Amino acid sequence: MSNPSPGTSSKAKVGSSQPSETSFKRKRGVFQKDLQHMMYGFGDDANPLPETVTLVEDIVVEYVTDLAHKAQDIGSKRGKLSVEDFLYLIRKDMPKLNRCTELLSMQEELKQARKAFEVDEEKLATLE
Amino acid sequence: MKQSKDPFEAALEEQEESPPDSPVGEDELNSQTPNEAQNQTDGGQNILVDDDDDDYDDLGPTIKNPSHPSSSSTPKLHSTSVNASVAAAVINKNKEYDDDEEEENVDVELSKFPSSADPTKMAKMQAILSQFTEDQMSRYESFRRSALQKSNMRRLLVSITGSQKISLPMTIVVCGIAKMFVGELVEKARMVMTERKESGPIRPCHIREAYRRLKLEGKVPKRSVQRLFR
Repeated sequence: MSNPSPGTSSKAKVGSSQPSETSFKRKRGVFQKDLQHMMYGFGDDANPLPETVTLVEDIVVEYVTDLAHKAQDIGSKRGKLSVEDFLYLIRKDMPKLNRCTELLSMQEELKQARKAFEVDEEKLATLE
Repeated sequence: MKQSKDPFEAALEEQEESPPDSPVGEDELNSQTPNEAQNQTDGGQNILVDDDDDDYDDLGPTIKNPSHPSSSSTPKLHSTSVNASVAAAVINKNKEYDDDEEEENVDVELSKFPSSADPTKMAKMQAILSQFTEDQMSRYESFRRSALQKSNMRRLLVSITGSQKISLPMTIVVCGIAKMFVGELVEKARMVMTERKESGPIRPCHIREAYRRLKLEGKVPKRSVQRLFR
C-alpha cells in the first residue's frame, strides 16, 4: 500500500505496548483538533477538510523537525540545545522573532507574578 | 484568593479587546464573573495571563470541545482592566465555552500593567473590535485562542532531538513559531485560491502550492540531507 500523502514519515499507530516516549513511531493526527481551530482562525473554512488538516500537520511536523535538527547542529557547538538556537534560526524572520521574544517575556512576567502570588499567600497564612 | 482566568484574556495587557459574547459553561468561568468585574475596577492591577495558554498546558488540557467550528456559541473575548462595564455585561452572556483554553485556566495572578501596553494601540484595537461582525469575532477568537499543545510539541521535540531535556521556554517558542508558520501557509493558500478564482474550503493542492512558494521565498528551512525512506 502506498502512502498517498507526500512528506509523511509517520506510521500508523501500532497497538504495541511501547511507551510513546521511547517509540519512534509518530501517531497521525497529533495536532488535528488544534489545527482545525487554528486554520479557521487564519482564514480557512469553519470546517476545514480533513485531508487539508492532515497535510498541514505533516508539513508542520516536517518544519519543526527540520528546525530542531538545525538548532541541534548549532547547539552542539555550544554543548546543549537551548532556546537561543531557535531564536538564531528565525532571526531573519522579523514577525516570528518578535513574537517569540514577546512570548518569552510574557512567560517571565507570569513566572514573576506567580512567585509574588505565592509570597503573598504565605504572608496571609502566617498572619492567620 | 484564587480564581481561574481565561488565558485568552492574557495578551490583553497590550491589546484592548472588546469583551466576549460567547457563553461559558464551566464553573471556573462563572466564578470569574464577579471577580473579573472586581478586578477590572481595580486601579493599576491587571490580570495577566499568557494568551497562548502556553504555561497552562502543563496542568493537563482535559476535554476539548469538539464542536467549535460548527458551534453556534458566540465568540468570546475578555477585556482588560479598561472596559469594566463592558466586560461585566458580556460575561453575563457566557453559557458554554467552545474552545480549548478553558480547561487550561490557571490561577489568576495580579501583576502590574505591563509596560508594553500602548494606550493608542489599545484604543485602536478596541475601535476595530467593536465593529466586528459575529463571524469576524468568532474567527478572531479562534485566531487568538488556538495553539498547539505544549505537551504534544514537547513529545515531538523529544523524539526529534533524542534528548529529554526540553525546557519549557523552548516548547513555548517552538509552538509559537509553528503557529505562525501555519498562518503563513493558510494565508498563502488563500492567496493561491483567489488567484485561481476558487472558493470554499482550502484544498490540499492549495496548501502544496503555498508550501512550494514559501520554499522559494526561503521561509522553510531546507534539509541539508535528503529525506529518504519515508
